[in-house]
Amino acid sequence: MATPIYNNLYIFLFLGLFLLTCGILGLLYRRTIIGMLISIELIMNGAGLNFVAFNRFTSPDNAFGLSFTLFIMGIAAAEAAIAMGIVILIFRRYRHIEGRDIKEMKD
Amino acid sequence: MMSLPEIIFLLVMFLTMVGALITVLSGSIIYALIGLVTTMFGIAGLYLYLNAPFIAMMQILIYVGAISILIAFAIMLAGPHYKRPKEWTTPVKFAVSFIVSIISFIVLFRVVMNAQWMHTKAKAFCITTENIGRVLFDKLMLPFELISLLIVVSIIGSIMLALIAKGEK
Repeated sequence: MATPIYNNLYIFLFLGLFLLTCGILGLLYRRTIIGMLISIELIMNGAGLNFVAFNRFTSPDNAFGLSFTLFIMGIAAAEAAIAMGIVILIFRRYRHIEGRDIKEMKD
Repeated sequence: MMSLPEIIFLLVMFLTMVGALITVLSGSIIYALIGLVTTMFGIAGLYLYLNAPFIAMMQILIYVGAISILIAFAIMLAGPHYKRPKEWTTPVKFAVSFIVSIISFIVLFRVVMNAQWMHTKAKAFCITTENIGRVLFDKLMLPFELISLLIVVSIIGSIMLALIAKGEK
């Protein structure tokens, strides 16, 4: 019997790459800050998937990749909390959350 | 002829990719959030296929349970007082973003698929939660403590941002 298709490193790498590319696309063309935040979450999901896949296929007898996936989840939670605070602050100041007009620090 | 686990794997993979496309391409931000939740459920299923059931449960608990609810709160808090803009920008900007992402996809695809990863033929066994706990508290003690410190600082920081915005000292 042939090896099943989920027993292959490359298909998981392809999925992680697909998530990364979707995140880059959303990060570049979304107008609102929350859209950009959601795209960053996609990128972090792809990174966690890559960590677990490499742990499963290149060194299946320890748990370092799984631990770093847990760390990525913690970083994503902290980032979402901070971004929510910043979004509320920006909305109270500008009455909208479009990234185009927030340019006071640039001028 | 594919066996049943392969068919389920293809369905989960399809779910993940369709969820990612909904997340990126939908016009409304709420639909994008729903697509993100779909993607996270799909990735939890992929973690089950990678022999990591604990990570799959943590994925559902943290991402689907906490982070998406947090983003939903951000949408609701920022949303109600103005007309929600369409997420589509100008077609030129979308075309440029699409070209950039396609180019990065092609370049990284060639890099990833041509590299020689060192496959081990060792029999894959299920890493239990006990293994993960031993690694976390034995070898990765400093990153673990730093992550907890980071989360505390970010929570205090977001509370401080909200209080400053209301003008309270």
